[in-house]
Amino acid sequence: MTIPFSHMLFIAILLFGMGAACAMTRKNLFMILIGVEIMLNAAGIGFVAASMRWMDMNGQVMTLFVMTVAAAEVAVALALIVCIRRRTGSTNADRFNLLKG
Amino acid sequence: MTDLSWTSVFFQLLLAAGGIIVFSVGAFVNNKPRNLLFSLAISAVLFAAGAAILIDGGRTPFFHMLDVGDYARFFNVLFALVAVFALFFSHEHAGLRQVAGDEFYGLMILAVLGMSLVAGATHWLVFFLGFEMLSLSFYILIAMRRDDPAGSEAALKYLIMGMVSSGFLAFGIAMFYAATGTIDMPIGLTAIKQPWSATGMLLSLGLILTAVGFKISLVPFHLWTPDVYQGAPTPITAFLTTGSKIAVFAGLLRILMLSSNWLWTRTVPVLWTLAAATLLIGSITALSQTRLKRLLAYSSVAQMGYAVMGALAIREDGGLSVIFYFAAYALMDMGAFGAIATLCTSPDSDLDELESYRGLGYSHPWQAALLTVCLLSLAGLPPTAGFIGKFMVFRSVLQAGYTVLAVIGIASAILSLFVYLKVIVVMFMKPTTDTVITSGFGPAARVAFAVILCGVLWAGVFPSPLQMLISRVITSISI
Repeated sequence: MTIPFSHMLFIAILLFGMGAACAMTRKNLFMILIGVEIMLNAAGIGFVAASMRWMDMNGQVMTLFVMTVAAAEVAVALALIVCIRRRTGSTNADRFNLLKG
Repeated sequence: MTDLSWTSVFFQLLLAAGGIIVFSVGAFVNNKPRNLLFSLAISAVLFAAGAAILIDGGRTPFFHMLDVGDYARFFNVLFALVAVFALFFSHEHAGLRQVAGDEFYGLMILAVLGMSLVAGATHWLVFFLGFEMLSLSFYILIAMRRDDPAGSEAALKYLIMGMVSSGFLAFGIAMFYAATGTIDMPIGLTAIKQPWSATGMLLSLGLILTAVGFKISLVPFHLWTPDVYQGAPTPITAFLTTGSKIAVFAGLLRILMLSSNWLWTRTVPVLWTLAAATLLIGSITALSQTRLKRLLAYSSVAQMGYAVMGALAIREDGGLSVIFYFAAYALMDMGAFGAIATLCTSPDSDLDELESYRGLGYSHPWQAALLTVCLLSLAGLPPTAGFIGKFMVFRSVLQAGYTVLAVIGIASAILSLFVYLKVIVVMFMKPTTDTVITSGFGPAARVAFAVILCGVLWAGVFPSPLQMLISRVITSISI
């Protein structure tokens, strides 16, 4: 049994919206990171769904690249958050208001 | 698959090799030899630029993925030039601030590689990877000084914005693929297969435009710009504001040029609104700034407004104007931030408050001269490159019939004239402050100063060679 394309697309769009909402409204840096990860994985689902629809492997290759890039991004982001957490003792995004004007 | 001519991607290969060599030298040679790393980085970028000038890859994209023709070559040389200037300005700056390690130079080379991939991509995979390579390098470069609270805060802000924008880009590409069935840029942008895919196509282009808008700081997405520019090390700010913005805009220009008429007519109102908002808000907020780096950040937002305005006329001769504008913008913004990079109050803090620039024209005439010429060029006054750039943009916008937008642009130009003149007045017409200003003004920075000064004035007085080159470049993109 195959899942209809529209269902998979709906899930992808729903996940993307949830991820974007999480990334934009949460204050904790880790929750923002998780939100971005969900956005990227929604893109991955979208690629695989479209790949099934068009009977074309390019989309699945693209998903592998998206996953790799997401891992690289998280590595940099976590290093930066650890560095900041060590100095300020906080992972609350609102605490960082040194630069303004 | 087309022929496997590896020579056509020599630019990218040399940069990748240069990056790896710099990282290896840093890993295996003790005490991080600063001058060796610096010369390795410079020679990698210069060799790559030489390869881009000499080797014409032809009109067929490399594996249908990467443009190696004139358009990509022109931008590759521009990125290499910008990177060389940024390296020259950062030589003393990075030495003073103890950040001149292998990661600093290596990541700058990799950022150039990312730029060339974004500007040359004819396939969404390459576009995405270049976009990420560019962003990841800059996240680390901005956070280079780990003990500096402002630097890591700037990096955090850029990181969050950059990650959200790459999420938008990835999902936009997924929607593009779902709507058209191909990840190839030129094929997909002209294909509309079914009624459903029209909606999907518009959704995807909206998402991609959002991601691009974050990177080139168009107005609803520009809020990170002043904070990041203020907190980042100044040579990196210079590199970020010129290199990364031009690269992403070059990618956007290619998307706009390749899209079908159906898509173009639906993109125009969005671009119109973005351009108008960017022009007005950029110049108005710049008026109230009291720190020079923030002021230049808002001014660079407004400069992007002119570029988007020119991009609207791309079906006429707007492409020529925008690319000329970017060549001028690369020189003048690099020069303005570069002049700031050579000044500091103490080894670890930049000269940032506008008040501390009082009398700079008398205490540090060279830096003040470069800053003045670049600010006049940003304001669009003759005889500078910025004047010709603005003139060409306004001419093509009027020819394309966007009169209201041109009026908004003129209003923004007049407003920003006040901003730039304010800085020049502070530098030359006020008595010197007590702030002790030391300058990290070494031989490398002097060379960059001279070249930028000559370049800005030369392109302002004799623009025709550059115009002819660009008009040849622009014809190579129509497929």
